[in-house]
Amino acid sequence: MWPQYSIGLVLVLVAGIVAFVALVIEKDDLHRLLLLDLVEIPSLGIIALLGTDLAEALILPGLVVGIAELLALSQIYIQKEGLKDRGVKGLDIEVIQADAPLIISILLIVYGIILSGFTGGGIVGLGVVFYIMSRGHRERFELLEIAAGISWAVWIVAFFIFMFFPEYWLTAVFLAAVGILMKVATKMSLIGTMWGGHHD
Amino acid sequence: MISLGGNPFYILEFGDELVYLSPYTVTLFLFALVFTLFAILSRPERQVDIAFGGDAYYAKETTLTEMRFRRFMAIACGLASMGAVVTGDIFNFTLFISLVGICNVGIVAAVKNQHVQEAAYQYGIVALSATVPLFGAAAIIAATTGTLSMIELWKDTTPAVTLVVRALLVLGVMGEGMAPFYAAKAEMFRAPGAPYVIMCSLSSLLIFLRVIEVVLVI
Repeated sequence: MWPQYSIGLVLVLVAGIVAFVALVIEKDDLHRLLLLDLVEIPSLGIIALLGTDLAEALILPGLVVGIAELLALSQIYIQKEGLKDRGVKGLDIEVIQADAPLIISILLIVYGIILSGFTGGGIVGLGVVFYIMSRGHRERFELLEIAAGISWAVWIVAFFIFMFFPEYWLTAVFLAAVGILMKVATKMSLIGTMWGGHHD
Repeated sequence: MISLGGNPFYILEFGDELVYLSPYTVTLFLFALVFTLFAILSRPERQVDIAFGGDAYYAKETTLTEMRFRRFMAIACGLASMGAVVTGDIFNFTLFISLVGICNVGIVAAVKNQHVQEAAYQYGIVALSATVPLFGAAAIIAATTGTLSMIELWKDTTPAVTLVVRALLVLGVMGEGMAPFYAAKAEMFRAPGAPYVIMCSLSSLLIFLRVIEVVLVI
């Protein structure tokens, strides 16, 4: 295991150094924002090299922190470049204007719910993002917040069942799976709402 | 078990979560708590501009929503620093530190001013790239020693963490703790961000003090 780990570590560090050099050379603010995403990936790579289920547990918070900072930075970019009032309309393509996005989104959401857990949440979120992107931004921001709050509560309940009533672990597993499905889905749909428009 | 900041008199182990209270961490925690209370109680400073060529001046009002957002960010920053100073788990430590970074970006960016926004953006880039050495150090510590708990890392039975990894951890904290530099660059200490911008300075001071302890004991 050790030589493999060392080789992997060297590769990831080289990738990180390349990304950092690119960040130093690049002067355009928007391009630097995009390069930051590239810088994030080696940090996830180092964690993934652990290769245990601990790595999986550590990647999630790492990923969330990265996405949160990226979203915050893009909001600041929109603000500082004065792009705030430039509304974003849905894509002007005939197929998109028809019912196709709705059908594809429903398919993705149903498939994601069947998968459940983190992967399912990602797919449901993808469906919602796709729908929002093709339909402009008439989204209900507070609805997403409510869903995120409920999923958080479900997650905590599952945690306490694990801690205090370990004999009902199956219930806790199912609750946690549903909770993380909703959590990831709402988090991903938040990405779709980041148009810098008015959210209320 | 001899630790740098005095012997821990209380260790809470709840699943993976590990919190320990030693005289050092409690002192830092109380610091963060007191300044968070200050941020809750204080009202925003009013910026006064003097019109050039006359004796007129006008005071800028801070709107209620902007004030609320800035106060919220200051409180969140205080909570994140409190977490960062008492946690005994290396990965939670790095997470709390990146949370401090995000909150500092929020505190700086809450002021709607071109220069301040520019500084917030540059700081955000630094803070985001600092998560690479930060998480990298935590992951390499877990890979080489097999544990993330600082209580375990104190013991002589666990292998020592190499100097490079410690340097990476400090580098990451330095990146996240750069906020006062950028806030000073945008002249935020004089009026636009006061008094909430003080949380930037305080939180970076606290995480610097804490990382010294972490690096020396692991």
